[in-house]
Amino acid sequence: MTPEPDTHDPEPQDVAAAELALGLLDGEERAAALRRVLAEPAFAAEVERWRLYFAQLFDLWPEAEAPEGLIDRIDESLGGPKPSRTRRAPWPLIAVAMSALAAVLLVVIALRPAPTPLPAPVPQVQEGSRTLLIAALGDAKSPVAAAYHPENGLLRIAAAPTVPAARVAQLWAIGGDGVPHPLGLLTAAGTELRLAAADRARLVPGTTLAISVEPTGGSPTGLPTGPVVATGALSAV
Amino acid sequence: MARAIAAGHRKRHPEASAAKHCDRSLPPPRQPLRCLAVTQPRPASDEARAHLARMLIATGSEDRAAFRELYHLTSAKLFGVVLRICGDTQAAEDVLHDVYLIIWRRAGAWEPGRASPITWLATIARNRAIDWRRAQKVRRAGPIDEASDIPDTAPDAESELVAAGERHSLRHCLEELEPRQGEAIRTAFFDGMTYADYAEARGVPLGTAKSWIRRGLARLKECLDRDA
Repeated sequence: MTPEPDTHDPEPQDVAAAELALGLLDGEERAAALRRVLAEPAFAAEVERWRLYFAQLFDLWPEAEAPEGLIDRIDESLGGPKPSRTRRAPWPLIAVAMSALAAVLLVVIALRPAPTPLPAPVPQVQEGSRTLLIAALGDAKSPVAAAYHPENGLLRIAAAPTVPAARVAQLWAIGGDGVPHPLGLLTAAGTELRLAAADRARLVPGTTLAISVEPTGGSPTGLPTGPVVATGALSAV
Repeated sequence: MARAIAAGHRKRHPEASAAKHCDRSLPPPRQPLRCLAVTQPRPASDEARAHLARMLIATGSEDRAAFRELYHLTSAKLFGVVLRICGDTQAAEDVLHDVYLIIWRRAGAWEPGRASPITWLATIARNRAIDWRRAQKVRRAGPIDEASDIPDTAPDAESELVAAGERHSLRHCLEELEPRQGEAIRTAFFDGMTYADYAEARGVPLGTAKSWIRRGLARLKECLDRDA
């Protein structure tokens, strides 16, 4: 199983876009590639192109009969006769604050998740037992905690990185498509964003959140234009 | 892309093309994977594709009946995807449940023209299954010769691609690679492996695995650029 020397090969090309699209990278290498997605539109397009190439292989993927009755269980978990995502019942503010606090503690002190105080059960889109998604953005010394409630589409960012004058920190979501989508602008004292439906759909476990430094008012192009100062992946608690 | 779906799934019972994989000599954890009836993809008509696209769009408008139809059209493909990557039937069922909840919530974000419906859906399933497996911190323990279960070409797949104007065929270019490079790339895709997973499964140093696969990707890139 030793590699044969392949002396006629040219210098290794930059295949990072293919590596990211195929899912070969993990840890810091993956984070670095995701930063390139944010910083280099050409690289992001290359990743997307590779994704579509590799997707040709889905044709070959053998099928397997799904478990019987699963659709009924899925349907049930969507809630009552009306789709529950139209629900807009706001959570009591205190519960949101406590949940966010729990998330911050979890991120910073890496404690075992304590039972989060919740109000009386409300019908909700269940995704397993998950009711909260969190992410720690940036390095271990000064992480910025993000907490997202799928039930009400509320995303709280505990703080924002320091930015130069006439600049603003902007938050992005990068999902499976590798394309950054703007979520909103951040303030140093903490920010609460109530996301639109399309943005809510992007926030699932594994989605990367990223903060870039942009001109006042946010990126003029719809894609990050300034340096990416923090990234982190959402996970369920 | 995966025109197979709709036509294949109206009928819930695999027909002559179904193959029963049931290798009892495999260790227990791998057994469920092998004992399921797997159906090789078959071409589906443009009408079936269009029907799937309509169901996906309607799902984006929170149409529950369309969502159920979407499930019936696609669940065998998506279960095949998650089952292979999760390697465990119960986990795969949970993940598939998750996948359809994600699809329900994200359907409105599908953009016709960017990716075919089934590509889009299968990508969600693959990504979610990989997320699940990485969250388990479980490396695939067994040997990884299962990539050989997957045929090199689907029936008429090549002619379909040509008909669809997709001239730069990845499969065509994969065949141009050294067998080992092609195998590594296929394994990474179908088993959702990182470099580290692959190196461990193959019992080679990480640097070696990276070097194989990177060389393969570089050649693939040349081929795809040439064909594009």
